[in-house]
Amino acid sequence: MKYTFSKSRSYRCFTTLLLAAALVFDFACWKRDTKVPLAGIGSMRTVTDDAGRQVTVPVHIDRIVSLAPNLTEIVYAIGAGAQLVGNTEYCDYPPEAKHVAKIGDTMHPSIERIIALKPQIVMVSTASQLEAFTKQLAEQKISVYVTDPHSLEEVFHSITTLGDLLCQHDRAAAVVADLRRRADLVEAAIKRVKPVSVFYQVSGEPLYTIGRDAYLTDLVRRAGGVSVTADVPGAFFLYSDEAALAARPEAIILPTGGSMGSANATVAASLRNSPAALNNRVHKINDDHLSRPGPRLVDGLEELARALHPEAFK
Amino acid sequence: MSGGSQSIHTGRATFGRTLFVCGFLLLLLVLVLLIASVVGSQRLPLASSLCALAGKTNCGLSSEQQAILFDIRLPRILLAGAVGMSLATAGAGYQALLRNPLAEPYLLGVSNGAAVGTMTALVFFGAHEWSRPVMAFAGALLATFVVYRLARGRTGTTPERLILAGVIVTTFLSSAIVFITTLMDATRIRSFTFWLLGDLSGTTTSMLIVAMVAAGVGVGFLIANARSLNLMMLGERDAFDLGVEVRRVRLTVFVAASLLVGASVASSGSVGYVGLVVPHLVRLSFGSDNRVVIAASALAGAAFVIVADTLARTIIAPRELPVGAITALIGAPLFIFLLKRG
Repeated sequence: MKYTFSKSRSYRCFTTLLLAAALVFDFACWKRDTKVPLAGIGSMRTVTDDAGRQVTVPVHIDRIVSLAPNLTEIVYAIGAGAQLVGNTEYCDYPPEAKHVAKIGDTMHPSIERIIALKPQIVMVSTASQLEAFTKQLAEQKISVYVTDPHSLEEVFHSITTLGDLLCQHDRAAAVVADLRRRADLVEAAIKRVKPVSVFYQVSGEPLYTIGRDAYLTDLVRRAGGVSVTADVPGAFFLYSDEAALAARPEAIILPTGGSMGSANATVAASLRNSPAALNNRVHKINDDHLSRPGPRLVDGLEELARALHPEAFK
Repeated sequence: MSGGSQSIHTGRATFGRTLFVCGFLLLLLVLVLLIASVVGSQRLPLASSLCALAGKTNCGLSSEQQAILFDIRLPRILLAGAVGMSLATAGAGYQALLRNPLAEPYLLGVSNGAAVGTMTALVFFGAHEWSRPVMAFAGALLATFVVYRLARGRTGTTPERLILAGVIVTTFLSSAIVFITTLMDATRIRSFTFWLLGDLSGTTTSMLIVAMVAAGVGVGFLIANARSLNLMMLGERDAFDLGVEVRRVRLTVFVAASLLVGASVASSGSVGYVGLVVPHLVRLSFGSDNRVVIAASALAGAAFVIVADTLARTIIAPRELPVGAITALIGAPLFIFLLKRG
């Protein structure tokens, strides 16, 4: 089943909501710009995050903690870096992010440190991070906002909503417009190419790959490829070695380098005789540009498209 | 546990009976091997696969189907067999030597010792693949001796004391594993969570060789000491009076079992319950003469893990489960059943 987000009913519904939300946010942010002091219940607003939760946040957010590198990158890209008071050990981009107070790593954040930083909002990148500490943070009146993009379009949406949330609507819109322009250029370049079948190797031993729900499956498609595991339910999972070989991928993507170092730099043993490996179509792409659904994901898209279709970019 | 003294008695088996039991299990193992090699997430033509497995060429398999069968599926099945054989025999060895039906590599903390060894090797000598089985063996041996020392009181080793010692060592080593995990970078942690549960995918040839050689050597040493183990089940003093070199046998069994566990864990993580369930089933079916129990456990253990791994790679195909999840899912209820029945 071909499911096109942009043409669906939920998209129309979603844009309407977005417009309405933007109006509300704009109003709230406008009040900030005009320096009208707001007090009591009026200074709070309720937004819906990607997990469908109703989150109540202050109109003016001055203290943010980010629990994922992609969120840190978004916060800086939309010009809210100054409000970031805490992030994770993995948050190393842009360089300023390294000097922000560290609260542990993505999977083991220190709840005490988070509370000590007195954030008004804590941003997490998947709902699975939630369970552990939402309740404790709620007791401290700290809101938790979840982003969970499943496509490039939804990454743009994350950037837009964070822009609204942090009163950086225009800046976020500019960032998204620029990213969209670059994504459109890629789309134009690969318009006439024949899609390449791709195996995306998240890790080799054991073999992990991406499935239907991963934003990377969408990214591969936009880069002129088609993931051989695009129809498998789930986002990231352990995958059968023999099924991967039997799918006869024409190209293999190895996300490696960047903060990943030399991990995942070689093709899984089971895929050494795949058409991709035999024809030298194994492409290493900076993991930081692929595994972080933020502004640099478009860098990943460009690198991916160039690797899969060098002829289209001459 | 009251079933223990009942199931571990030295019912002697005749040579003919041993041969019959092993012949039967060998047939079963071959059958399981064949079924496992024609089942998988990719459907291969049955007749052509069997033809290719018989060693013939021109069976009509494409080069890719050939690669799936011989480069991916078969090595994995052989590894499953070697691991099952090793863990089941090691369990049988520990149970006979320690005269304790609950002695099992996983429960004694020996598997965790090997896991700590493997992880240490990965963190500090990541580049050298050979360091993994060596360190795993060292870890297993160390854990074995620590548990044994802890379990030996002034009045000798009691089953309860042994299990408590095992629990203490297991929990201590689990903490060590958690500690080492925090030293590793995030990208590797997820694959380690799978590996800790026991995972046979991504088999390398060198690891397969290590596991198979260790299985052969370890099982050989245990079978060679099976008669002494029979006598030692009367009690170490009585065995000594009957001419058994108790200390040498004990050392041999510990080293052989640690070798078996170390190689299995280094190649596939901690696959639980095999060393417990298989020897129990074998004793229930064929009596408790260690000459039969050890040889039969080797064959039945191999078949058991091959079946478990075949399930692991087919039930949610093309996605996979770690084999340890399946052995535990089969093993734990079966063990409870045995406990109730015993």
